[in-house]
Amino acid sequence: MDRREFIEQVAAWSAGTCLAAPLFDVRAVLAAEERPNGKPLMVVAKGKDYEALVDKVLKPLGGMAAFVKKDDRVVVKPNIGFDRTPEQAATTHPDVVRAVVRRCLDAGAKRVLVFDRPVNDARRCYAHSGIKDAVESLGDSRVRCEYVDNKDFVPVEIADGKSLDKFDFHRDALPPECDCYINVPVAKHHNQAKLTLGLKNVMGVIGGNRGIIHRDLNRRIADLNLVVRPKLTIIDATRILLRHGPTGGKLDDVKVLDTLIASADTVAADAYATTLFGKKPDYLGSTVAAAKLGLGEMDLSKVKIVNM
Amino acid sequence: MGWQFNCHPNMHATPTSVSHGATTTARLYNMRRIAWIPWRWWRRAAQFAMLVLFLWLFRRTEYTGADQLAGGENIFFRLDPLSGAAAMLAARQFIALFWPALIVLALTIVLGRFFCGWICPLGTLLDYFHRMLRPIARRTNRLFNSRSSNSRRLTAAGPPGESLRSARYVLLIVVLLAAAFSFPLVGFVDPLALLTRGMTLWGDPTLYRGVDAGFEWLDGRWGTAAVEPFVEKHLIPFRATAFRLAGVSAAILAAIFALELVARRFWCRYLCPLGAMLGLLGRWSLVGRLPVGACKSCGDCAELCRMDALGDGLSAEDCTLCMDCVDLCPKGIAKFAVKRSKSQPRPVDLSRRGALAGLAVGAAIPGLAAAAQVFRPRQADPYLLRPPGAGDEKTFLDLCVRCGECMKVCPTGVLQPAVFESGLEGIFSPRLIPRFVFEQTYCEYTCTLCGQVCPSGAIPRLTEAAKHERPIGLAYFDHSRCLPWGEETPCIRCEEMCPAPEKAIKILNTFAIKDADGFELEIQQPYVERDLCVGCGICESNCPVEGPSAIRVRRVDSPDPGTEIMLKR
Repeated sequence: MDRREFIEQVAAWSAGTCLAAPLFDVRAVLAAEERPNGKPLMVVAKGKDYEALVDKVLKPLGGMAAFVKKDDRVVVKPNIGFDRTPEQAATTHPDVVRAVVRRCLDAGAKRVLVFDRPVNDARRCYAHSGIKDAVESLGDSRVRCEYVDNKDFVPVEIADGKSLDKFDFHRDALPPECDCYINVPVAKHHNQAKLTLGLKNVMGVIGGNRGIIHRDLNRRIADLNLVVRPKLTIIDATRILLRHGPTGGKLDDVKVLDTLIASADTVAADAYATTLFGKKPDYLGSTVAAAKLGLGEMDLSKVKIVNM
Repeated sequence: MGWQFNCHPNMHATPTSVSHGATTTARLYNMRRIAWIPWRWWRRAAQFAMLVLFLWLFRRTEYTGADQLAGGENIFFRLDPLSGAAAMLAARQFIALFWPALIVLALTIVLGRFFCGWICPLGTLLDYFHRMLRPIARRTNRLFNSRSSNSRRLTAAGPPGESLRSARYVLLIVVLLAAAFSFPLVGFVDPLALLTRGMTLWGDPTLYRGVDAGFEWLDGRWGTAAVEPFVEKHLIPFRATAFRLAGVSAAILAAIFALELVARRFWCRYLCPLGAMLGLLGRWSLVGRLPVGACKSCGDCAELCRMDALGDGLSAEDCTLCMDCVDLCPKGIAKFAVKRSKSQPRPVDLSRRGALAGLAVGAAIPGLAAAAQVFRPRQADPYLLRPPGAGDEKTFLDLCVRCGECMKVCPTGVLQPAVFESGLEGIFSPRLIPRFVFEQTYCEYTCTLCGQVCPSGAIPRLTEAAKHERPIGLAYFDHSRCLPWGEETPCIRCEEMCPAPEKAIKILNTFAIKDADGFELEIQQPYVERDLCVGCGICESNCPVEGPSAIRVRRVDSPDPGTEIMLKR
C-alpha cells in the first residue's frame, strides 16, 4: 500500500462511516403488530409463592406460549435500577424475574436477554437486587444477564412523539434484534412521576442523557413507549414502595401485596396498578399521555379484568 | 554410571566423540547444573510469582460482587517499610496496619536487600524490560550491563560517597525528615506507589480502551469471540475509567524505565529510597556473598552484576541477592553463606556533605512549601471532598501514602487525584469529583471499598452505617441555575437519585404552570434537608444542567478560617 492508496482508503472509509451512521425507523415493523380489537385482557393474581404466582397470572392470558414463539429472541426487562435488596422494593423481585425467564425458555425462546441500564453501579445493582444470581441459577446458556454496553444504543426517530423526536435506544430491545419484549417493572413511588410502573420502565433501555427526559417527564415517557412496545407487561406488586421512591431504602415504606398484574396492554396495567396506591388512573400523567397517543386503554371499565 | 541418567539424554549419544578430559569437565559442569536447580532460577521464579501476585491483586482491587473484599489487596503496600515509616512519622502515631513491613525489615536484617531482587514488582519489570532491550543493545553496540560502560562513569569516579549512588540516601533522608515535619513526600518516590498509581491512573484506562477497540475491530474473527468474555471479566477493568494526572503518572514510570538505557536497574541503584532504606539495614546482614569482592584474575561477576555491587569489595547495601554471580561464576567458587568476618569492605555511598545536604533540604521543604504560597495563597477549596471517613485535612494528608489503591477500587471513578488543590504535598492524594464523568461519578451509597484497601488507615475501614454517620460533604443548590427554581422547568432529578432512605432532597413548593401548548406542567422546587444528606454527590453528578451542577456538595467543615456557611436552603 503506497501513501496515495492509504490516503484514498482512509478518506473512503471515513466518508463511508460518516454516511452510514444509522438512524433507525421502526414504525413499519411496529405497524404490523397492531393490537387486536375488543377489550384488552388483564389478569391480577395474588399468592405468596412468587414463582407459582407468575404461572397463575399468565394462565388466563394463554400462558407464556401466547407471547413467546419458538426461536424468538426475547428481552425480559426488569427494574434493576438501584443498588437495593429485594425487600427494599426498589427493584423487581428476583423470583418473579426467574419464573418469567424460565417460562420464556419453556416456550422455546432462542435467546433471552435480561438487562437494565441502572442508575447506580451496574455490578452492585445486578448483585444486590438478586436478579443476576436468580437468572444465572437457571443454568441455561440461552439466557444472558449482562451489563449494558453504551455502544449498543442507537438513535431512533420517534415520528409521532409529542415532546421528543429522537432518542437513543438499546438495539437489543428493538426489532429486528428482539422478537418479544417482556416488561417486568416493580410498582413504586416516584416523586416527579408520582409512580413508576410499566410505561416508565422503558427508561432502562434508553441511552444518552436521561436527565433531559425529566423536563417534560410524562409526555416524554409516553413518547418513548411509541418505540418500545412490550408484548407483555407483568407489574411486580408483590411488595410496593409507598414513599421515598424510586430509591427507597426504608423498610417502613414497603407494603407487601403479593400481587402480580399482567396484560398485553401496558397502559391498562399501569392504570390498574395506580389503584393499588389508592389513586385513580389519571393520577399518572404518563398514563394519560400514553392513552392519548393510543398506546392502550386507561379506562378500567373498558378492560376485562380477571382476578386469580 | 548412575548419575548420567540424571543428565541430558544426549550425553549417551556421543560419548566417544569427546576427549576424555572434556568429558570430565562436562560431567562436573552438568552435575553442578542438574543436581541443583540454580539459585537464580529460584530467584526468577520468585520474581515471576510475586509479579503475578501483584498484578492479580491489582486486578482483584475492584468490586467483584461482594461488599467485603477478600482481603490482602493492599499487601504490597503494607510490606513497604518506607511508606509505613513516613506515614507514622508524619502522623505521629503507630499504624498497626503496617505490621507486615516488620517482616520485611526482619528478613532484611538477616538476608540483606532481598526484597529488591526477589519481590519488588517494579524491579522485576525493570529486569524484564532490560531483557527486551538486549537485542537492541547488541545491534547498536551499546552495553548496558557491565561496569566498563556507562555505569562506571556514574559510579567509579571520585572517592566513595561522591557517586550518584548517594542520591538515594539523600532522597531517603529528605523524605523521612520532611515526614517528621509533617510534610508527606513519600508518595512521590516510593516505587510501589509510583508503579500502582501509573497502572491505576494511566494503565487501566488505556488497557480498557485498547482491548475494547481491539475486540471491536476483530469483531469475533479468528475465534476471538471465545476469549472475549474471559478477557473482559478477568484481565481488564470493568469500565473505561478516566483519571486526572494520568499523563504525569505515565511519564514518571516511563522515565524510570528509560533510565534502564543508561544503566541496568538505574532506579534501584541510584534513586530508590526504599532500596536505600533496605540497603542500610542490609549492611549488617548475616548472609553475604563470598568471596567478598571479585577475584583479581577474573572479575566476570563484577561485569555482570546488575546492581554493580561488586568491585574490590562487595557493597552489601547494593547486593539484591540475585544470585547471578553464584550461578555464573566460571570457577564455581562464589557462594552465599553466613558472613564470617565483620569487616565492611566498602563504606556507605554517602558523604558527610551529601548527608548534610539531605538533612538541610528535608528540613527546609516545609518552609519552602509555605513560602510557595506567596505564589498561590492557600485558599481552602470548599469543594475539596475527601473520601468517606477521612479525618481533618492535615491528618488525612499525613496518613495518606498516595498509593492510588482507593482510586483503583472505587466502582464509579469519583475518587480522583488532587493536583494543586491542597498544596504541593497534596498532589496525588484522593478527592471526590462528583461530576468528573456526568451521571457516572459519585460515591456509591452502600460501598465501603476504599476504606478496605487503604494500607495506612487514611481512609478508615467503615461499616455502611458508620459511613453515613459522617457525611463526605453537604449539598447546596444554586437557585439561579436550578431548573425548577431559576427557569420554572420541571426537573428534581436530584431528588430522584438521592439514596438517603428518607431523601435528603425534599420539595419546598409545588405549583402548576402551562407550557406554550397549553399543557399543564407541575413544578416542584427542591431543597436539601441537610441533616439527612450524606454528601455522596449523586445529585451533583446527575444534574442535567449544562456546565457545573446546579446542586453541589461542599465540605462539612468550613475550611477557610473565619468564613462560615450561612445558607439555610
